[in-house]
Amino acid sequence: MSGFARGMRLSAELVGGVVIGFIFGWLIDRLFGTSPWGLIVFLLLGFTAGVLNVMRSAGVIRPGPLSGAGGEGMHGRQDRN
Amino acid sequence: MDDPIHQFEIVKYVTLGHIGGREIAFTNSALFMAIAVAGISLLLIGATSNRSLVPGRLQSLAEMSYEFVADMINSTAGREGMRFFPFVFSIFMFVLFVNVIGLIPYMFTVTTHIIITATLALMVFFTVIIYGFWRNGLHFLKMFVPSGIPIYILPLVTVIEVMSFLSRPLSHSVRLFANMLAGHITLKVFAGFIGLLGAWGALGWFGAVLPLGLTVALTALELLVAVLQAYVFAILTCIYLNDAIHPGH
Repeated sequence: MSGFARGMRLSAELVGGVVIGFIFGWLIDRLFGTSPWGLIVFLLLGFTAGVLNVMRSAGVIRPGPLSGAGGEGMHGRQDRN
Repeated sequence: MDDPIHQFEIVKYVTLGHIGGREIAFTNSALFMAIAVAGISLLLIGATSNRSLVPGRLQSLAEMSYEFVADMINSTAGREGMRFFPFVFSIFMFVLFVNVIGLIPYMFTVTTHIIITATLALMVFFTVIIYGFWRNGLHFLKMFVPSGIPIYILPLVTVIEVMSFLSRPLSHSVRLFANMLAGHITLKVFAGFIGLLGAWGALGWFGAVLPLGLTVALTALELLVAVLQAYVFAILTCIYLNDAIHPGH
Protein backbone atom coordinates (compact mmCIF):
# COMPACT_ATOMS: atom_id res chain seq x y z
CA MET A 1 0.00 0.00 0.00
CA SER A 2 1.40 3.40 -0.96
CA GLY A 3 2.24 5.93 1.73
CA PHE A 4 -0.40 8.31 0.39
CA ALA A 5 -3.15 5.71 0.63
CA ARG A 6 -2.03 4.75 4.11
CA GLY A 7 -1.99 8.35 5.29
CA MET A 8 -5.41 8.92 3.79
CA ARG A 9 -6.77 5.85 5.53
CA LEU A 10 -5.43 6.73 8.97
CA SER A 11 -6.47 10.37 8.77
CA ALA A 12 -9.99 9.32 7.78
CA GLU A 13 -10.14 7.20 10.93
CA LEU A 14 -9.10 10.09 13.19
CA VAL A 15 -11.35 12.66 11.54
CA GLY A 16 -14.26 10.20 11.64
CA GLY A 17 -14.03 9.91 15.42
CA VAL A 18 -13.81 13.65 15.99
CA VAL A 19 -16.74 14.38 13.65
CA ILE A 20 -18.95 11.79 15.35
CA GLY A 21 -18.02 13.33 18.72
CA PHE A 22 -18.93 16.76 17.42
CA ILE A 23 -22.31 15.57 16.06
CA PHE A 24 -23.13 13.82 19.35
CA GLY A 25 -22.13 16.76 21.53
CA TRP A 26 -24.00 19.23 19.36
CA LEU A 27 -27.17 17.13 19.36
CA ILE A 28 -27.04 16.66 23.12
CA ASP A 29 -26.58 20.39 23.62
CA ARG A 30 -29.52 21.06 21.32
CA LEU A 31 -31.77 18.53 23.06
CA PHE A 32 -30.93 19.28 26.68
CA GLY A 33 -29.71 22.87 26.50
CA THR A 34 -26.41 21.99 28.18
CA SER A 35 -24.30 24.16 25.88
CA PRO A 36 -21.29 24.11 25.79
CA TRP A 37 -20.64 21.12 28.05
CA GLY A 38 -21.97 18.37 25.78
CA LEU A 39 -19.78 19.59 22.95
CA ILE A 40 -16.69 19.79 25.17
CA VAL A 41 -17.13 16.33 26.66
CA PHE A 42 -18.12 14.55 23.44
CA LEU A 43 -15.44 16.21 21.33
CA LEU A 44 -12.86 14.86 23.77
CA LEU A 45 -14.48 11.42 23.77
CA GLY A 46 -14.69 11.51 19.97
CA PHE A 47 -11.03 12.40 19.75
CA THR A 48 -10.23 9.43 21.99
CA ALA A 49 -12.34 7.15 19.79
CA GLY A 50 -10.51 8.53 16.74
CA VAL A 51 -7.10 7.83 18.25
CA LEU A 52 -8.29 4.35 19.20
CA ASN A 53 -9.42 3.76 15.60
CA VAL A 54 -6.09 4.96 14.22
CA MET A 55 -4.06 2.77 16.58
CA ARG A 56 -6.19 -0.26 15.78
CA SER A 57 -6.03 0.22 12.06
CA ALA A 58 -2.28 0.86 12.17
CA GLY A 59 -1.87 -2.35 14.16
CA VAL A 60 -0.23 -0.57 17.11
CA ILE A 61 -2.61 -2.18 19.55
CA ARG A 62 -4.31 -5.52 19.20
CA PRO A 63 -7.64 -5.33 17.40
CA GLY A 64 -9.88 -5.00 20.41
CA PRO A 65 -13.41 -6.08 21.20
CA LEU A 66 -14.42 -4.04 18.22
CA SER A 67 -12.05 -5.73 15.89
CA GLY A 68 -11.04 -2.35 14.59
CA ALA A 69 -11.07 -0.87 11.16
CA GLY A 70 -7.66 -2.11 10.22
CA GLY A 71 -6.14 -4.10 7.44
CA GLU A 72 -2.86 -4.91 9.10
CA GLY A 73 -4.14 -6.09 12.44
CA MET A 74 -5.82 -9.07 10.89
CA HIS A 75 -3.29 -11.79 11.43
CA GLY A 76 -4.56 -14.61 13.52
CA ARG A 77 -8.11 -13.47 12.98
CA GLN A 78 -9.32 -16.98 12.24
CA ASP A 79 -8.10 -18.59 15.42
CA ARG A 80 -10.26 -16.26 17.47
CA ASN A 81 -13.40 -17.47 15.75
CA MET B 1 -6.95 26.70 -17.97
CA ASP B 2 -9.87 24.39 -17.40
CA ASP B 3 -11.44 24.39 -13.97
CA PRO B 4 -10.27 21.24 -12.15
CA ILE B 5 -13.60 20.97 -10.28
CA HIS B 6 -15.68 21.12 -13.44
CA GLN B 7 -15.31 17.37 -14.03
CA PHE B 8 -17.42 16.59 -10.93
CA GLU B 9 -20.45 18.53 -12.09
CA ILE B 10 -23.77 16.67 -12.12
CA VAL B 11 -25.62 17.12 -15.39
CA LYS B 12 -29.32 16.34 -15.71
CA TYR B 13 -30.29 14.39 -18.80
CA VAL B 14 -33.94 13.45 -18.37
CA THR B 15 -36.34 14.41 -15.60
CA LEU B 16 -38.19 11.25 -14.63
CA GLY B 17 -40.72 12.80 -12.27
CA HIS B 18 -41.21 14.32 -8.85
CA ILE B 19 -41.39 12.61 -5.49
CA GLY B 20 -42.46 14.79 -2.56
CA GLY B 21 -41.57 18.00 -4.40
CA ARG B 22 -38.10 16.70 -5.28
CA GLU B 23 -37.04 16.28 -8.81
CA ILE B 24 -35.93 12.78 -9.75
CA ALA B 25 -33.67 13.05 -12.77
CA PHE B 26 -31.50 10.73 -14.77
CA THR B 27 -28.07 12.33 -14.43
CA ASN B 28 -24.59 11.62 -15.75
CA SER B 29 -23.91 9.98 -12.38
CA ALA B 30 -26.83 7.60 -12.90
CA LEU B 31 -25.69 6.96 -16.46
CA PHE B 32 -22.21 5.90 -15.36
CA MET B 33 -23.60 3.71 -12.57
CA ALA B 34 -25.77 2.04 -15.19
CA ILE B 35 -22.72 1.62 -17.45
CA ALA B 36 -20.78 0.00 -14.59
CA VAL B 37 -23.63 -2.41 -13.83
CA ALA B 38 -24.01 -3.24 -17.52
CA GLY B 39 -20.24 -3.83 -17.77
CA ILE B 40 -20.22 -6.18 -14.78
CA SER B 41 -23.26 -8.06 -16.11
CA LEU B 42 -21.72 -8.40 -19.55
CA LEU B 43 -18.45 -9.67 -18.09
CA LEU B 44 -20.07 -12.26 -15.86
CA ILE B 45 -22.78 -13.42 -18.29
CA GLY B 46 -20.33 -13.54 -21.17
CA ALA B 47 -17.81 -15.42 -19.06
CA THR B 48 -20.22 -18.08 -17.89
CA SER B 49 -22.05 -18.61 -21.17
CA ASN B 50 -19.95 -21.44 -22.56
CA ARG B 51 -18.67 -22.84 -19.23
CA SER B 52 -15.64 -24.69 -20.53
CA LEU B 53 -13.54 -26.81 -18.20
CA VAL B 54 -10.40 -25.09 -19.47
CA PRO B 55 -11.39 -21.45 -19.04
CA GLY B 56 -10.95 -18.92 -21.79
CA ARG B 57 -9.66 -15.44 -21.21
CA LEU B 58 -12.96 -13.92 -20.12
CA GLN B 59 -13.97 -16.92 -18.06
CA SER B 60 -10.70 -16.98 -16.12
CA LEU B 61 -11.10 -13.26 -15.41
CA ALA B 62 -14.51 -13.94 -13.87
CA GLU B 63 -13.17 -16.95 -11.97
CA MET B 64 -10.26 -14.92 -10.66
CA SER B 65 -12.57 -12.20 -9.36
CA TYR B 66 -14.76 -14.82 -7.71
CA GLU B 67 -11.81 -16.49 -6.00
CA PHE B 68 -10.31 -13.16 -4.97
CA VAL B 69 -13.45 -12.07 -3.15
CA ALA B 70 -14.11 -15.54 -1.73
CA ASP B 71 -10.56 -15.68 -0.28
CA MET B 72 -10.97 -12.20 1.14
CA ILE B 73 -14.19 -13.17 2.96
CA ASN B 74 -12.80 -16.48 4.19
CA SER B 75 -9.67 -14.92 5.65
CA THR B 76 -11.45 -12.05 7.44
CA ALA B 77 -14.94 -13.24 8.36
CA GLY B 78 -14.49 -17.00 8.36
CA ARG B 79 -16.63 -19.63 6.63
CA GLU B 80 -19.88 -18.18 7.89
CA GLY B 81 -19.07 -14.94 6.18
CA MET B 82 -19.59 -16.66 2.83
CA ARG B 83 -23.32 -16.08 3.14
CA PHE B 84 -22.50 -12.44 2.51
CA PHE B 85 -20.59 -13.29 -0.66
CA PRO B 86 -23.17 -11.80 -3.07
CA PHE B 87 -23.22 -8.58 -1.04
CA VAL B 88 -19.44 -8.16 -0.83
CA PHE B 89 -18.91 -9.24 -4.44
CA SER B 90 -21.46 -6.71 -5.69
CA ILE B 91 -19.88 -3.91 -3.67
CA PHE B 92 -16.35 -4.81 -4.78
CA MET B 93 -17.20 -5.11 -8.48
CA PHE B 94 -19.34 -1.98 -8.47
CA VAL B 95 -16.68 0.20 -6.82
CA LEU B 96 -13.93 -1.31 -8.99
CA PHE B 97 -15.80 -0.73 -12.26
CA VAL B 98 -16.93 2.76 -11.31
CA ASN B 99 -13.38 3.76 -10.27
CA VAL B 100 -11.68 2.34 -13.34
CA ILE B 101 -14.27 3.66 -15.81
CA GLY B 102 -13.78 7.10 -14.24
CA LEU B 103 -10.09 7.05 -15.22
CA ILE B 104 -10.92 7.02 -18.94
CA PRO B 105 -10.77 10.60 -20.24
CA TYR B 106 -14.13 12.41 -20.50
CA MET B 107 -15.75 9.82 -18.23
CA PHE B 108 -17.48 10.72 -14.99
CA THR B 109 -16.30 9.18 -11.72
CA VAL B 110 -19.32 8.32 -9.61
CA THR B 111 -17.30 7.72 -6.42
CA THR B 112 -16.08 11.35 -6.33
CA HIS B 113 -19.46 12.21 -4.82
CA ILE B 114 -19.72 11.49 -1.11
CA ILE B 115 -23.44 10.69 -1.35
CA ILE B 116 -22.60 7.53 -3.31
CA THR B 117 -19.85 6.29 -0.97
CA ALA B 118 -21.91 7.25 2.10
CA THR B 119 -24.87 5.26 0.79
CA LEU B 120 -22.66 2.21 0.28
CA ALA B 121 -21.06 2.61 3.73
CA LEU B 122 -24.43 3.08 5.48
CA MET B 123 -25.76 0.00 3.70
CA VAL B 124 -22.88 -1.99 5.21
CA PHE B 125 -23.37 -0.32 8.60
CA PHE B 126 -27.08 -1.19 8.83
CA THR B 127 -26.46 -4.69 7.52
CA VAL B 128 -24.00 -5.21 10.38
CA ILE B 129 -26.45 -3.87 13.00
CA ILE B 130 -29.51 -5.74 11.72
CA TYR B 131 -27.71 -9.03 11.10
CA GLY B 132 -25.81 -8.70 14.39
CA PHE B 133 -29.01 -8.33 16.42
CA TRP B 134 -30.86 -10.97 14.37
CA ARG B 135 -28.13 -13.55 14.84
CA ASN B 136 -26.87 -12.76 18.36
CA GLY B 137 -29.74 -10.94 20.00
CA LEU B 138 -28.63 -8.70 22.86
CA HIS B 139 -25.32 -10.55 22.98
CA PHE B 140 -24.39 -8.30 20.05
CA LEU B 141 -24.09 -5.39 22.50
CA LYS B 142 -21.30 -7.23 24.26
CA MET B 143 -18.87 -5.98 21.65
CA PHE B 144 -19.11 -2.53 23.22
CA VAL B 145 -18.12 -3.86 26.65
CA PRO B 146 -14.57 -5.17 26.57
CA SER B 147 -13.72 -7.76 29.17
CA GLY B 148 -10.97 -7.35 31.78
CA ILE B 149 -11.51 -3.63 32.31
CA PRO B 150 -11.83 -2.27 35.88
CA ILE B 151 -15.46 -1.42 36.67
CA TYR B 152 -14.79 2.26 37.42
CA ILE B 153 -13.61 3.09 33.89
CA LEU B 154 -15.95 0.66 32.12
CA PRO B 155 -18.66 3.28 31.38
CA LEU B 156 -16.09 5.57 29.82
CA VAL B 157 -14.59 2.79 27.72
CA THR B 158 -18.05 1.70 26.59
CA VAL B 159 -18.94 5.22 25.44
CA ILE B 160 -15.66 5.41 23.53
CA GLU B 161 -16.30 2.02 21.91
CA VAL B 162 -19.79 3.07 20.87
CA MET B 163 -18.42 6.23 19.29
CA SER B 164 -15.71 4.25 17.60
CA PHE B 165 -18.41 2.00 16.15
CA LEU B 166 -20.54 4.94 15.01
CA SER B 167 -17.59 6.62 13.31
CA ARG B 168 -17.12 3.63 11.02
CA PRO B 169 -19.50 4.54 8.20
CA LEU B 170 -17.95 7.99 8.23
CA SER B 171 -14.35 6.88 7.76
CA HIS B 172 -15.48 4.04 5.49
CA SER B 173 -17.12 6.44 3.05
CA VAL B 174 -14.73 9.40 3.38
CA ARG B 175 -11.71 7.22 2.57
CA LEU B 176 -12.97 6.13 -0.86
CA PHE B 177 -14.45 9.52 -1.68
CA ALA B 178 -11.36 11.53 -0.65
CA ASN B 179 -8.95 9.26 -2.50
CA MET B 180 -10.87 9.46 -5.76
CA LEU B 181 -11.56 13.20 -5.47
CA ALA B 182 -7.96 14.13 -4.60
CA GLY B 183 -6.57 11.92 -7.34
CA HIS B 184 -8.77 13.35 -10.06
CA ILE B 185 -8.10 16.96 -9.03
CA THR B 186 -4.32 16.38 -8.94
CA LEU B 187 -4.42 14.79 -12.35
CA LYS B 188 -6.40 17.67 -13.80
CA VAL B 189 -4.17 20.34 -12.24
CA PHE B 190 -0.96 18.79 -13.56
CA ALA B 191 -2.49 18.27 -16.99
CA GLY B 192 -3.53 21.94 -16.94
CA PHE B 193 0.12 22.99 -16.40
CA ILE B 194 1.06 21.44 -19.75
CA GLY B 195 -1.25 23.80 -21.61
CA LEU B 196 -0.14 26.81 -19.56
CA LEU B 197 3.57 26.19 -20.08
CA GLY B 198 3.08 25.24 -23.71
CA ALA B 199 1.65 28.70 -24.40
CA TRP B 200 4.99 30.32 -23.43
CA GLY B 201 6.79 29.41 -26.64
CA ALA B 202 9.94 27.36 -27.09
CA LEU B 203 11.17 27.56 -23.48
CA GLY B 204 7.73 26.58 -22.22
CA TRP B 205 7.77 23.51 -24.44
CA PHE B 206 10.77 22.19 -22.55
CA GLY B 207 9.15 23.08 -19.26
CA ALA B 208 5.96 21.31 -20.25
CA VAL B 209 7.77 17.99 -20.48
CA LEU B 210 7.91 17.85 -16.69
CA PRO B 211 4.15 18.04 -15.96
CA LEU B 212 3.51 15.75 -18.94
CA GLY B 213 5.75 13.09 -17.43
CA LEU B 214 4.08 13.60 -14.07
CA THR B 215 0.64 13.26 -15.59
CA VAL B 216 1.60 9.94 -17.17
CA ALA B 217 3.05 8.72 -13.86
CA LEU B 218 -0.01 9.95 -11.93
CA THR B 219 -2.36 8.14 -14.30
CA ALA B 220 -0.58 4.90 -13.47
CA LEU B 221 -0.77 5.74 -9.76
CA GLU B 222 -4.45 6.55 -10.07
CA LEU B 223 -5.11 3.18 -11.66
CA LEU B 224 -3.42 1.59 -8.65
CA VAL B 225 -5.44 3.75 -6.25
CA ALA B 226 -8.70 2.94 -8.07
CA VAL B 227 -8.17 -0.80 -7.72
CA LEU B 228 -6.69 -0.54 -4.22
CA GLN B 229 -9.58 1.54 -2.89
CA ALA B 230 -12.11 -0.93 -4.25
CA TYR B 231 -10.17 -3.65 -2.42
CA VAL B 232 -9.93 -1.62 0.80
CA PHE B 233 -13.63 -0.82 0.70
CA ALA B 234 -14.49 -4.50 0.25
CA ILE B 235 -12.10 -5.78 2.92
CA LEU B 236 -13.39 -3.25 5.47
CA THR B 237 -16.90 -4.46 4.64
CA CYS B 238 -15.74 -8.00 5.46
CA ILE B 239 -14.11 -6.88 8.72
CA TYR B 240 -17.26 -5.07 9.80
CA LEU B 241 -19.42 -8.06 8.87
CA ASN B 242 -17.12 -10.23 10.95
CA ASP B 243 -18.17 -8.19 14.00
CA ALA B 244 -21.81 -8.95 13.26
CA ILE B 245 -21.04 -12.69 13.00
CA HIS B 246 -18.68 -12.93 15.98
CA PRO B 247 -19.35 -10.09 18.43
CA GLY B 248 -17.29 -9.96 21.64
CA HIS B 249 -14.62 -12.63 21.69
